[in-house]
Order: sequence, then structure tokens, then C-alpha cells
Amino acid sequence: MKEYSQDLSSLIDNELGDKEVINTVLEDAALQKQFSRYQLIGDVLRDESNVLDLRMDVTDSVMAAIANEKQDNYVAPLSAAPEPEKSNVVPFMKRFGQYAIAASVAGVVVVSSLMVNQGSATDPSVAPVLNTVPFGGAAAPVSLQATPLQTKSDIKERNERVEALLKDHQLQLQTQP
Amino acid sequence: MNERELDLQLIQRIQNGEQQAFALLVRKYQTRVANILTRYVRSSGDIPDVSQEVFIKVYKSLPNFRGDSAFYTWLFRITVNTAKNYLTSQSRRPPASDIDAEEADSYDGSGALKDDANPEAILHSQEIKQVILKVIGDLPDELKSAITLRELEGMSYDEIAQIENCPIGTVRSRIFRAREAIDKQLKPLLEN
Repeated sequence: MKEYSQDLSSLIDNELGDKEVINTVLEDAALQKQFSRYQLIGDVLRDESNVLDLRMDVTDSVMAAIANEKQDNYVAPLSAAPEPEKSNVVPFMKRFGQYAIAASVAGVVVVSSLMVNQGSATDPSVAPVLNTVPFGGAAAPVSLQATPLQTKSDIKERNERVEALLKDHQLQLQTQP
Repeated sequence: MNERELDLQLIQRIQNGEQQAFALLVRKYQTRVANILTRYVRSSGDIPDVSQEVFIKVYKSLPNFRGDSAFYTWLFRITVNTAKNYLTSQSRRPPASDIDAEEADSYDGSGALKDDANPEAILHSQEIKQVILKVIGDLPDELKSAITLRELEGMSYDEIAQIENCPIGTVRSRIFRAREAIDKQLKPLLEN
């Protein structure tokens, strides 16, 4: 250490700017304290230490405060930052757009069906695929109060079909084990 | 190399991320900063806290330091501003007259400081001063002359070598030996 002490003395007097010496001082706590004492000798001789507690040394507290502030202000680098979570909430404009499309499709269907029905009533040459009138000639209204349009032969035919189904069912029951 | 160049070298190291270089600047200037603060701060017990605040401000402002003025001049301005802010926070008015950087070093702050420092600290500081002056008084003449010309007259090694009629290396060695002798007595006083 003594070999550096003379360099330290020259460094304080601004007679030495060797980077090596500065590196050594920065890495050696004992040399730094010696630097403080050498500095104090000059301050006392120049009478720059009036009414002071000459033992005062704020170096450690200053460096600790700086280190603390650095930690507090530490911001994680961008690459390490987590990606923002995807929201499950559908954005307003997206949902609004879906409703708008659905409404316009429904509107087109309603308008076109009205037009087709009008056309079929007046024009018998309309394409059969668009003709929604039953083959029987008239559509029966679907209602509990509506009276069915049935003839005696229809009723007889229906009863015969039901009886045939019942007989078939009984036969199947007898053949099963 | 002059004082300004050495300071700039340390500042460049700090700006390059070598935080420990700032510790050396604090060690170099803390007594001078405290001496300026005695002009403003009435309670000597507050001087370490305000000194710490000064150096933290200096550290934070270092990225903006361009070296247009000497580091000490810049440090001096920050010290005075911090002291005035301190007085404002204490609901006291700053002194009507300011001091400048040149006269700050030799300023005797004892008039402004209403000293409520503990007597033990004052006695201890007086003891340190007496030891330093006594050791210098007891040094051989060539060592005494070399350290006095350097510290009190601010002469360079080259100028001292011309006055003492000896090589620069001898001046370097004499000043170091003088400091070493003082340090031998000073170190136990500061460590206790």
C-alpha cells in the first residue's frame, strides 16, 4: 500500500493523472480513507474547517442514499416486461358491427320475401321454388280455434291407418321373446 | 494536470457508470461544502444532513454537467441553493449578503453558526487541528517547507523544486513524507 501512498499524495496535489492509480484508489477502501485524511490535512492548514466536527464524513451515507435511489428507480427492461393480458370483453365497436350486419341481413330477407309474395299473387309464372302456397290449394291456419277441413273419407282412411299400425305393433310384441 | 482536469476525469468515470468515483469527489470536497454551509445553517447538527443533500443533488445533476465551469464553482452554486432551500423549509430567511466561490474557502462561518454543536465534537476538532499543526512544527525544515508551500501557497511541484533547488522527485517525496508523519498521528484520532 505504501507504494500507492506516494502516488495518492501526488494525486491530491494534481501532479498525477495516472488512470491506474485512480483505479487502485477506487478499488481500495483503505486508500480512500487515507485520501480523506490527506485532504483533511490540507483543509486544516488552509483554515477551511471552521467550527466543524472534523470527524464528519458523509461519504458512506451519500453513497448508500444514491444506491437506494437507484434501486427505487429501477425499471424492468422492455424485453422482460410481461405482455398485457388479452381482455375477454368484446370491444364496443366490434359488437356493434355484428349487430349491424345481422340487422341488415334480416332487413333484406324481410323485404325480399314481401316482394316475392306480392309477385306470386299476381304472377302465376313465378318459379315453383319461391311458391310457398301448399299443393292442396290453401294453407290451413295453425291455431287451436281453427276448424280442420276434413271429409268422411279422410277420417275413414286415417282410422284404417291407425288400426293397421296397432295390429302391426301387437304382432311385433308377440314375436319378441 | 490541474485540479479541474482531475475532477473532469472523475466526472467522466461517473458518467460512464463508475459510481465509486463519486465517493472520491465527496471525500475531496465535503469539508469545503460543510464550511460553506456554516454561513447559512445555524445548527451545526444539521450540517451533515444538508451536506448529504448537496452531494445527492450533485450526483443527480452530473449528467447535465458539461465542464464549462470548474466543478467546484458548480458545486458551490448547488451548495448555496440547497442551503437557502433548507432555510426556507425551516421558515427562516436566507442571509441578505451572499458569498462567492472564491471567498467561500476562507470564510469564517463562526459568526453565522449559532453553535449548538456538542462540546465534545468541538474539543475533538480542536485536538485534531492541534495535532496537525504540532506535527508540522516538529518536521525537519525541508519537509515543513515543502508541505507549507504546497498546501498554503498552492504551488506546483515544479515551482517548489525551483525554490528549493532540488529535483521534482525530491519534492514529491518530501511532501509525501510530511503527510505520512501527520497521518500517523491523525489516523488514531479519527478512528476513535
